[in-house]
Amino acid sequence: MALRRKKLHLGGEIERKPRSLWRDGMRRLLRNRAAIAGGVVVLAIALAAIFAPFIAPYTYVEGDVLNNYAGPSAAHPLGCDFMGRDLLSRLIYGGRVSLSAGIIGAVTAFTIGVTFGLISGFFGGKTDNFMMRFVDIMYSFPTLLLIILLMVYFKSSFSTVAVNPHSFRGILSSIDKSMGGMFFIFLGIGLTSWLGMARLVRGMTLSVREKEYIEAARAVGTSRFRILFRHVFPNILGPAIVAQALQIPGFILYEAFLSFIGLGVNPPTPSWGMMLSEGYQAMRSYFHQVLWPALAISITLFAFNFLGDGVRDAFDPRQTR
Amino acid sequence: MFEFIVRRVLWTIPVILLISSLTFVLMKSVPGGPFNSTERALIPAIKANLEARYHLDWPLWKQYLQYMKGFFTWDLGPSYTYRARTVEDILNQQWPVTIQLGLCAFLIALCVGVPLGVLSAVKQNSLIDHGSMVVAMLGVSIPAIALGPFLIWIFALKLKWFPVATWGTPAHIVLPAVTLATFYLARFARITRASMLQVVREEYIQTARAKGLREIVVNVKHAFRNALIPVSTIAGPAFADVITGSLVVERIFAVPGLGRYYVMAITNRDYPVIMATTLLFALLIVFMNLLVDLSYGVLDPRIRYN
Repeated sequence: MALRRKKLHLGGEIERKPRSLWRDGMRRLLRNRAAIAGGVVVLAIALAAIFAPFIAPYTYVEGDVLNNYAGPSAAHPLGCDFMGRDLLSRLIYGGRVSLSAGIIGAVTAFTIGVTFGLISGFFGGKTDNFMMRFVDIMYSFPTLLLIILLMVYFKSSFSTVAVNPHSFRGILSSIDKSMGGMFFIFLGIGLTSWLGMARLVRGMTLSVREKEYIEAARAVGTSRFRILFRHVFPNILGPAIVAQALQIPGFILYEAFLSFIGLGVNPPTPSWGMMLSEGYQAMRSYFHQVLWPALAISITLFAFNFLGDGVRDAFDPRQTR
Repeated sequence: MFEFIVRRVLWTIPVILLISSLTFVLMKSVPGGPFNSTERALIPAIKANLEARYHLDWPLWKQYLQYMKGFFTWDLGPSYTYRARTVEDILNQQWPVTIQLGLCAFLIALCVGVPLGVLSAVKQNSLIDHGSMVVAMLGVSIPAIALGPFLIWIFALKLKWFPVATWGTPAHIVLPAVTLATFYLARFARITRASMLQVVREEYIQTARAKGLREIVVNVKHAFRNALIPVSTIAGPAFADVITGSLVVERIFAVPGLGRYYVMAITNRDYPVIMATTLLFALLIVFMNLLVDLSYGVLDPRIRYN
């Protein structure tokens, strides 16, 4: 270790520093056993979701009326649902919906939030004032209600009414249909969850903007656009990604919640929230209908939370103790 | 302090305007009015009459004003699905149930979560600390839609301590309130613990100890009060989430509250009920946020003067 550190000293000072911060964080993260366990579980769930067609014993639509509410058996390890569909297969495919809602929702929110925050912080003045007041007002709108409203809007105006397939509306609607209703969930989550990110990025941009290297870049005549993308953006990227990753469990919850109240995926696409919603009605006699999806979503969130806590402890210096 | 309160109260006006207009515009821009059923087309004269009755033939801005006037005079007109009942009738009946449930859940979360966090921080790295943090981790990871069925199964179906569902006696409140409270109980515990641990390292705590104050006075009077500040920042959003969380919890436990009605209105596309309920939920949340912010100003004098 001592030898390597010496070698690194030979490298350029400017290039080494951010990497060592990153490495420091990684080292701390790898020492955190709970976080590693969480990471392994998340990875396993992600692999199962990606390779669902190869792992799942059945497809998520094929059902057998004779198997309605069937208990666990050799052919169906976890039993069957109210339409005789294999619960294990639906659970595995359901992981796709949950994980993609978490990740794509986060990416969408990240993109909007970072763009908004960068512009607001970098240009400052009236632009900043106006943009931040907008964020303030939106912040007072309860997120879940906003998502519900957007989903009602999307579902009623794109899915139930016949639309011209070649119009903008029609294209969005067919994208959503081909994704089993997931597209609008991503959109709903992304459009409502970027406010915190925008605030965070703006704050960081404001402080980065005053740094000497920005002044140096300006002095040599770099364009504003280039400063924004080459000098400001890379410097706020790390903390922003960490902050956004911490929100993934929240997005998974939103999806489950929406599917539970009937505003999420379209049947027969399986989602854990929808499976819970279908299962709880028959819960008295067939508890396994809710047991598996409830376990699946709890274990996933548990793993994400452990991983997230570890990542925050490792990369946020204020939190270390 | 007075100026701070006035500023904070005035701030709710643009918020309410935005929420109401956004709700209104979204619900109005859904294509196909309530009377354009494709299966059973109405005779044009009947349709025109119906639209006139619900003021759907007015220009949008006039409809908006009419709607806002209706909201504040509590005269919201008939529901589209239950033609015989007015929206305010429905709301008046469901509203107290949701408030009861929400307040119970919020109080459980606050009164159990915060002391748990303090206890964990004071006895850092003890068995109590580790135990309650594992419970808190479970709490933030098991969502209400998963926890509800488990609680019903264990406490209502197997042990028969509480009724399975519906509403009426105090025993009916317990399970849904606990389901609703768990997530925030856990969050309060985690945040209180973290913020207590941070405050305890401050110099004024050392000073207090150096003065020879008893440990309990240091912890409660000097540390706890300051540790509450981050807790109070999440208390507002937490209340909002508890209230909106009642959407699913009321569905699981068949509680006849606003949340269950809201979900039914969504399924039926009953726009007047959706709009009024959203606005009501939002107003309640804005009001709670206001209270929280004011309490924040009381807790932390620095806030009042920025």
